[in-house]
Amino acid sequence: MVDTRIYEMFREIGRDLYVANMISSHGGNLSIRLGDRVVIKRRGAMLGQLKPHDLIETRLDKNDSGVALASTELLVHRTVYLNTPALAICHCHPRTAIAFSLSRDEIVPIDNEASYLLKKVPVVMEEFASGTPQMANKVADGLKNYKIIMLRGHGSFAIGQTLDEAFFWSSTLEEACQIMLFTKQINESFIEYRKMSESYNKF
Amino acid sequence: MAGWSEKVLDIDLNTQTYKTYPLDMEMARLFIGGRGIGARLLWDLVGPDVDPLSPENVLIFANGPLTATGYQTSNRFSVTTKSPLTGTVLDANSGGFWGMQFKKAGYDVMIVRGKSPHPVWIEIRNGEILFQDASELWGLRVYALTEKLGQNNHKRNVLCVGPAGENLSRIASIMNDRERALARGGPGAVMGSKNLKAIVVEGQYRPAIADPDRFKFLLYETRKLLAASPLTSQALPEFGTVVLMNIMNNIGALATRNHQQTQFEGAEAISGEELTEKYLVKNASCWACPIGCTRVSKTDRVEGEGPEFETTWAFGAQCGVDDLAAIIEVNSLCNDLGLDTISAGSTIACAMELSEKGYLDSDLRFGRADLLARCVEEMAYRRDLGADLTEGSLRLATKYGRPELSMSAKGLEFPAYDPRGMQGQGLLYATSNRGGCHMRGNMVGLEVLGLPKLIDRFQVQGKSSYVILHQNASAAIDSLVVCKFVNMGVADEYFARVLSAVTGIQYATGDMIRVGERVYNLERLYNNREGFTTKDDTLPPRLLTEAPLDGPSQGWVSNLAPMLREYYRTRGWDENGVPTKRKLADLGLTDLV
Repeated sequence: MVDTRIYEMFREIGRDLYVANMISSHGGNLSIRLGDRVVIKRRGAMLGQLKPHDLIETRLDKNDSGVALASTELLVHRTVYLNTPALAICHCHPRTAIAFSLSRDEIVPIDNEASYLLKKVPVVMEEFASGTPQMANKVADGLKNYKIIMLRGHGSFAIGQTLDEAFFWSSTLEEACQIMLFTKQINESFIEYRKMSESYNKF
Repeated sequence: MAGWSEKVLDIDLNTQTYKTYPLDMEMARLFIGGRGIGARLLWDLVGPDVDPLSPENVLIFANGPLTATGYQTSNRFSVTTKSPLTGTVLDANSGGFWGMQFKKAGYDVMIVRGKSPHPVWIEIRNGEILFQDASELWGLRVYALTEKLGQNNHKRNVLCVGPAGENLSRIASIMNDRERALARGGPGAVMGSKNLKAIVVEGQYRPAIADPDRFKFLLYETRKLLAASPLTSQALPEFGTVVLMNIMNNIGALATRNHQQTQFEGAEAISGEELTEKYLVKNASCWACPIGCTRVSKTDRVEGEGPEFETTWAFGAQCGVDDLAAIIEVNSLCNDLGLDTISAGSTIACAMELSEKGYLDSDLRFGRADLLARCVEEMAYRRDLGADLTEGSLRLATKYGRPELSMSAKGLEFPAYDPRGMQGQGLLYATSNRGGCHMRGNMVGLEVLGLPKLIDRFQVQGKSSYVILHQNASAAIDSLVVCKFVNMGVADEYFARVLSAVTGIQYATGDMIRVGERVYNLERLYNNREGFTTKDDTLPPRLLTEAPLDGPSQGWVSNLAPMLREYYRTRGWDENGVPTKRKLADLGLTDLV
């Protein structure tokens, strides 16, 4: 049985993702690692309206009955946990970031906060972009070196020690992309204000 | 290879000879440096048959690939030995300048074996290793000795023991650069047992960096992040580590009067704010540190570095003392005599409770600030009650029939954070490889400060994952070697990138954390070999059964049992707390068992 404190954490972050327009009604998923187990959103549950029974606890290293109920992306989450120090994962569909992921191989923010926090976000591509081993491996590979990556045309995967840390990286990326979009719309020349920003793409 | 000097200095005090040989670079790749390499070497050099105070024990001084590179706080080094206080593997870690200078002398590691027939000090200068007679220096206190041997922060640095180390106090520290300490677990007694009074080092080399452009970029970004963090740019520089006093007291997790309470009514009087307002002379910092958390404070009697939070707590709240001037003075005395302030203060607190409850015939009572300095003097010279106190709180309490009154794990006294108000911290203490310690993955970041984000401090389920991650990360940082305070502004991923830039070996964040996991498991194997079992992974009964009667932690005890079960499973250890064959194979440690 998942602790009430853990459920409340999922409910709050899930609701915030929906309110922030970073998922559709049934999109995205969240998970945390509890030792050798994973707590993940139930398949088909609405992140914005999570109930206690919407959290599924399952093994990290192999299947058990929980796999019948868990999110479609369980394999991705497991692979990430087995290959990185992550204790929490936030997967969402930030719209502006998805739009940028369709035309570039990495997103290099230009605003101050995301420049501090992210430096750059790689974009990876996988044809079978939902719940497959190929996708799981690509996402996990990317997250070995970065705390958030974009899967082209699909969404972001962010890791952290806590759910709100992973959510923080996700919302920071989306905010950065919105600012990039606005500057494109304004269409005025960019005045560089960050020393050594030319090195961000080497981060 | 860049980063490492690739050179080991191996000293035999029995014969006062030395040899040098190449560092095993496969070992360096797997264990990085500092604490990691120290643990790996200790495994081979000191077995369970060795008394920690015998000539067969060794001192392993080690820096890391980041040391002396100029990366923020790259001044640190460690000493690894078998602890005379706990009998466990021990590494202690210190800042200042000596570690940087030792790296610049061209060595990654110095192993000190044997026992000199007479007091000796070692001088490392211009590529020479000189054994100098220390008969005239024996008995000198730290400040006088450091000055006499020519301490010069940027050129010539002194590491030594004071009278406490000479007299084999089990809580004796090794001091460097006058007031920095390799404090915990009694490494000073090991050095004293070898008749080794001091090691003075002058360096002349600059360590090589594999990718200077990337290093320069990361140096700049780290500076920006440290400047942006309120902790590293405001709280620590303005109030020092004592900034935690009011924070911990306010949440009801400040151990008080030998952990009989979790809040101290005198906390404000010994807080960082009070220290800054009334006693601060100036800030100081270790080499290459932009944070500058060191206080230089002054009373009518003393002026010097400190006190740190743990010291202020140990002689303050833990002893029921709210006299900050007395605490500053006893801190200075401990540094001069070469004593670990946490263990010294907490052992006095234990004696105060024993005395108040009639188990020990002494005048010690909680709140008696006037007796602190006397106790510390007696400890260093093993005089009167000091002969018992200097053995640490567990031996003291056991001698007087109340071992449960020692607030320690595996015999090492706890720091300030009361596990009843921080569930993760209790698990951390119980499973720490060197005993009750906050520097083996402090949960204060996650459970109190919100670093990187706040978690529920009373949550039990899932706590083991956080504790394990932080223990592993901590072991990795101790192997680089840098200061954990940088981690308050800069995430682990930066350390991995800096390590890659310096060495030319690509480490992902997970690779670096995995090095920490390897180190942690090796240390655990060492303790298992010494006879430590799951029964030693525990806390004093008070913390498991006596809930605070008031305050924000009212009604809570440490809920250790379920966290410990989860911890073993998550670690990949069996129910007896022994790493499984599968785990050891996974970490490349199979050949050790």
